[in-house]
Amino acid sequence: MKINALSKTYEGRKVLSTPAFELSGGEICVLVGANGSGKSSLAKAIAGVISNDYGAKPFDGKLSVGYMPQKSYAFRMSTLRNLTLAGGNEAEAMEMLKKLGIDHLAKAPANKLSGGESARMALGRVLMKKYDLVILDEPTASMDMESTALSEKLIMDYCRKSGAAVLWVTHSLAQARRVADKAVFLRKGEMIEFGLAEKVLNSPEKEETKEFLKFYE
Amino acid sequence: MSSAIGKAIDMILGLDPELMNILGTTAKLCLTSSVIALLIGVPLGVWLGSARFKGRGALVVINRTLMGMPPVVCGLLFYILFSGVGPFGKLKLLFTVTLMIAAQVVLITPIVIGNMESFVSGISEDLRESARGIGIGGMKRYLLLMNESLYHIFSTYLLAFARAIAEVGAVSMVGGAIAWKTNVMTTAIMQYTNRGNFSLGIALGIILMTISLVVNIVISLAQRRLSR
Repeated sequence: MKINALSKTYEGRKVLSTPAFELSGGEICVLVGANGSGKSSLAKAIAGVISNDYGAKPFDGKLSVGYMPQKSYAFRMSTLRNLTLAGGNEAEAMEMLKKLGIDHLAKAPANKLSGGESARMALGRVLMKKYDLVILDEPTASMDMESTALSEKLIMDYCRKSGAAVLWVTHSLAQARRVADKAVFLRKGEMIEFGLAEKVLNSPEKEETKEFLKFYE
Repeated sequence: MSSAIGKAIDMILGLDPELMNILGTTAKLCLTSSVIALLIGVPLGVWLGSARFKGRGALVVINRTLMGMPPVVCGLLFYILFSGVGPFGKLKLLFTVTLMIAAQVVLITPIVIGNMESFVSGISEDLRESARGIGIGGMKRYLLLMNESLYHIFSTYLLAFARAIAEVGAVSMVGGAIAWKTNVMTTAIMQYTNRGNFSLGIALGIILMTISLVVNIVISLAQRRLSR
């Protein structure tokens, strides 16, 4: 699927300017870059949460898009109900909670969950339905190591089984290397490098990407 | 003073007819105006807090200005409009409870809108993104927002009712504090105190504070139950 060229300017400051690029179903593409590099803006622009300055839609045709924002909202209802709100029945929602290790919190009010539990609930909620494209903005940022491992496995399984393309914003280079098929490196709102994860995250071509990776090594 | 308080308690326990009439008029006025203000103000406040459009900022500023409208100004406006020479004079609504309710609705609705707007604008962005992320939009998202605001609606109602029951400026100008007709607790307290009849004033003061306490307790209990 082709993602169109995107641009976003806030109060005269350009925060995003990316060329068109392509994602494939059944593949995970990670968005990496420093703080303020435009990862979340790109995720939001593709999800349609913010408008594209160019006027064009983020992609041509009709794609179903699931999106987990960085600050996911826990609706004031049970954890289970939060999941069924997205789609599916209670049995499927329980199955999802089990996979995320929070099935014991099914009846608990979602707005009373801890940060990590709430993130797992939000991840489960977005993965309840089958989409063409799923955008996840730092889904494991507030999770512990065990939950992160569970969540990574869940996302990878979802991607392979459903055939959806997954666009995954992450701050962890180690995580990016574990999960990604493709990678985008962003800097100051611009796409510096895009390609196979193996190449971008291990032997990049651009100096900016090399510098970024050096910092993390 | 102690004899006045004793007489006041006697009036309350003896269900003094004039006192009961004032209470009845007050209850009718405050309950009706606060409920109408809530029915108008909550949807408008939720909309204003969540919608993104040009001119939204200006509407918020206008509403905040109306929130601070002095009750006597509101009363004056209604008095001019509905007095014999006013454009709506033929309706003969001046010095009626109906017009007092209308004046209070005008006074309270901006408070309800403002209170809801400030709450909703604080959660709407995150809620909108999460709802959109799972394919929820339009009316369903609006209903979700209303559901999220339920707890806050209770405290907003409390505010609206408190404003209605404590208000004196608009109701005295529009209602005229006519005994057995438009006299409510606040206007009666002023009127009877001016006449030196402290007993009725004190009795009404006691009742006013008791009602305020009971309403607060009920709303707090409802909020606690809702937050579980």
